[in-house]
Amino acid sequence: MDKALADFVEMLRYSDVPVSISESVDAAETVRLFGYKDRGLLKTALAQVMAKTIDEQENFERCFDEFFSYQVNPDLAPEETLEEDGEDSQDTDESADSSPENTPANDDESAPNPASGGGEGGGGFSGEQSESGSASPLLDMLERNDRTELTMAMTAAASEANLRNIVLMTQRGLFTRRIMEGMGLDEVNREISRRNQEGDAEGADRLSGRLELLFDAVRDMVERQLALTSSGKAKQFRQDILKNVRLSNVEHRDFKYMRQLVQRMAKRLTDMNSRVKKVKKRGHLDIRKTMRRNVAYDGILFETHWKQKHKDRPKVLAVCDVSGSVAAVARFLLLFLYSLNEVLPKVRSFAFSGDLGEITDEFDRLGPEEAIPFAIEKYGGRSTDYGRALEDFKELCLDEIDNRTTVIFLGDGRSNGADPRIDILKEIKLRAKRVIWLNPERKSVWGSGDSEMLRIAPYCTTAETCNSLNKLELILRDLLKSN
Amino acid sequence: MTFIDKDPATAIDLIKDGFEKAGYICDRHIATSIYLSQKLDKPILVEGPPGVGKTELAKAASEILAAPLIRLQCYEGLDESKALYEWKYGKQLLYTQILKEKLGDLLEDAVGLEQSMDKLHQFGDSFYSEKFLEARPLLQALKSEVKTVLLIDEIDKSDHECEAYLLEILSEYQISVPEIGTIKAKTKPLVFLTSNNSREMSDALKRRCLHLYIPFPDASLERRIIQTRVPELEENLRNQLVSFVQQLRTQDLKKLPAVSETIDWARTLMLLHADTLDVDLVRNTLNMLLKFEEDIDNMYSEVPKFIAAARNERM
Repeated sequence: MDKALADFVEMLRYSDVPVSISESVDAAETVRLFGYKDRGLLKTALAQVMAKTIDEQENFERCFDEFFSYQVNPDLAPEETLEEDGEDSQDTDESADSSPENTPANDDESAPNPASGGGEGGGGFSGEQSESGSASPLLDMLERNDRTELTMAMTAAASEANLRNIVLMTQRGLFTRRIMEGMGLDEVNREISRRNQEGDAEGADRLSGRLELLFDAVRDMVERQLALTSSGKAKQFRQDILKNVRLSNVEHRDFKYMRQLVQRMAKRLTDMNSRVKKVKKRGHLDIRKTMRRNVAYDGILFETHWKQKHKDRPKVLAVCDVSGSVAAVARFLLLFLYSLNEVLPKVRSFAFSGDLGEITDEFDRLGPEEAIPFAIEKYGGRSTDYGRALEDFKELCLDEIDNRTTVIFLGDGRSNGADPRIDILKEIKLRAKRVIWLNPERKSVWGSGDSEMLRIAPYCTTAETCNSLNKLELILRDLLKSN
Repeated sequence: MTFIDKDPATAIDLIKDGFEKAGYICDRHIATSIYLSQKLDKPILVEGPPGVGKTELAKAASEILAAPLIRLQCYEGLDESKALYEWKYGKQLLYTQILKEKLGDLLEDAVGLEQSMDKLHQFGDSFYSEKFLEARPLLQALKSEVKTVLLIDEIDKSDHECEAYLLEILSEYQISVPEIGTIKAKTKPLVFLTSNNSREMSDALKRRCLHLYIPFPDASLERRIIQTRVPELEENLRNQLVSFVQQLRTQDLKKLPAVSETIDWARTLMLLHADTLDVDLVRNTLNMLLKFEEDIDNMYSEVPKFIAAARNERM
């Protein structure tokens, strides 16, 4: 596989198009078949080999256009026009300059160079005499102003410096420096100061001018690479952080990402849990057991035995405190629960701060996106009273709680001094299969101030701190698994 | 079809022409994926809204490749015995009954149980041989002497297990039957899997396939499709009709009209000897295009607007 394709695959991977090894092998084969000439055709073909969903397809097309547009025009960097004595190194002025070195260099450059990964020589110089006999290869190249070689050296130094791992804007300087050093910056600097000492000011200027342009070119390459890979990488980076950040601290602009994350996590849980149900629906004839059972009847199959695994879906009642800081967590818990509706079809949800009310209908009608703000508006904002909320809850649906029901409470357990009515909680615990209490506060502050958590906790099957998506996922996984 | 040795661009044009002759108008995407699947020996996973011609594609491919079409319709509960193979239990039973005496003869000189067993073992597992194997579509496709087109239709309707046993076929073109061993394809079939995306396929499956998404066709492509499928329809009416359907697709509907519905509608209009779209005609035949009462009600009042736009549109 050539390097351009390898880079492209890498870029795709960072842009949410997971390309497996076998797919990249196919892609290499496709490139071999089609070549790089007809880009439209290549794009169509590669898309089918590498992008396997419609979303991926879109990402793929964007990446393809971005990636290969860089490759098609090895841009004659604008820096070239800035060069010191105003001479233009483009082909047009070549005859005027009539420099022997210039011609081949330019020719090389104007040819598309798909494997270079973007990289343009050390800027344009023209009409300079070359001085040979210097010790460092970079010095040599600069003196000869051999762009092809400079480009190659740049690319080599870039891969040496692992330029592809660049993620953040702030790393630009570091990588530029590393690449320059890899190419032999030190020797050139020494040479410049040597010339200065020896009084060859003109020679020193010339060299440092060229070096400056080389710097620009490298900086350019670094930035291009950053643009290519970082958008994807930075996203991944951010997502990893978001999974662990405290839910109450999630900023508004990150909600979109959070939603995607929740949906993805929910889908994983759904996939893990949706299989067994189908086996139950059908039931397989268990031949071994059937035969064994019928040995007594001389092998005639009177009694059949069916393979059945059943896993009943938990009935879930979610009771969320929607006041103040807990609301942020409630939002994600509810979002998560409703994203799981394939495996958790029976979720009823309730919201309270003072009074408690059922919000299941709102969810069905509006979907979680709109239902959550609605619930917060309708029930939030009052001072929390767990006692009253539990009374309301008891009235509403205590009768429906049976030994298959899981009740999830989400709240900080701070009842503002009011009686939390532990007795009702006890009653719920007796009836329900499980009572889970999720508290966004850390365990160390449970029981401090008006927190009733220490009284509440004994009457819950589990009482857990839950303040990040990762925790939430773990808890829900347990919920599904232990059935 | 002899496109295999040509260079890609020519080959793809050849495929397109071939499909056109078979009455299937396709764009470059589709032709490219047929070419690729032949070159890379990969199945094609075709996705798209219902009625855009996913199944037709397989049928047309079987026509132009002159390869018989073997079809496996997936549904919830489809299992190995329906998709891969099954033992012919009845035949096995019958044979044991018939051969009972023969067995007696064979074991006559054996002394004791052990010897009889040994003797029996010498005959091998003749009851579990290919003669007693009932080939279901997937196995049929592999055992076929000539190249076949295997259509696994609506794979998204099947269970996860179904995907699992497809994997071996899709990547290696072989099936493992525990009692016999591995059955390899004599000639690799061209495999199409179609999906309406009612559930996401597993990554393992997707990785083994080329992915082809067929969207609703644009106006010009749809006109050509109608032209091929309902050639008797006048050009003027055809243009109006396609424009009307294209406008419908921009609306919020429960089910958008697909190509197959456009074709049906074109046929209907032809039967009614219509030569131009008018409001009553369209309202009366709207049920050919829209399959939900709600959609029809919603669009009822919009019909004149769409017709006017369709008439004014210059092709």
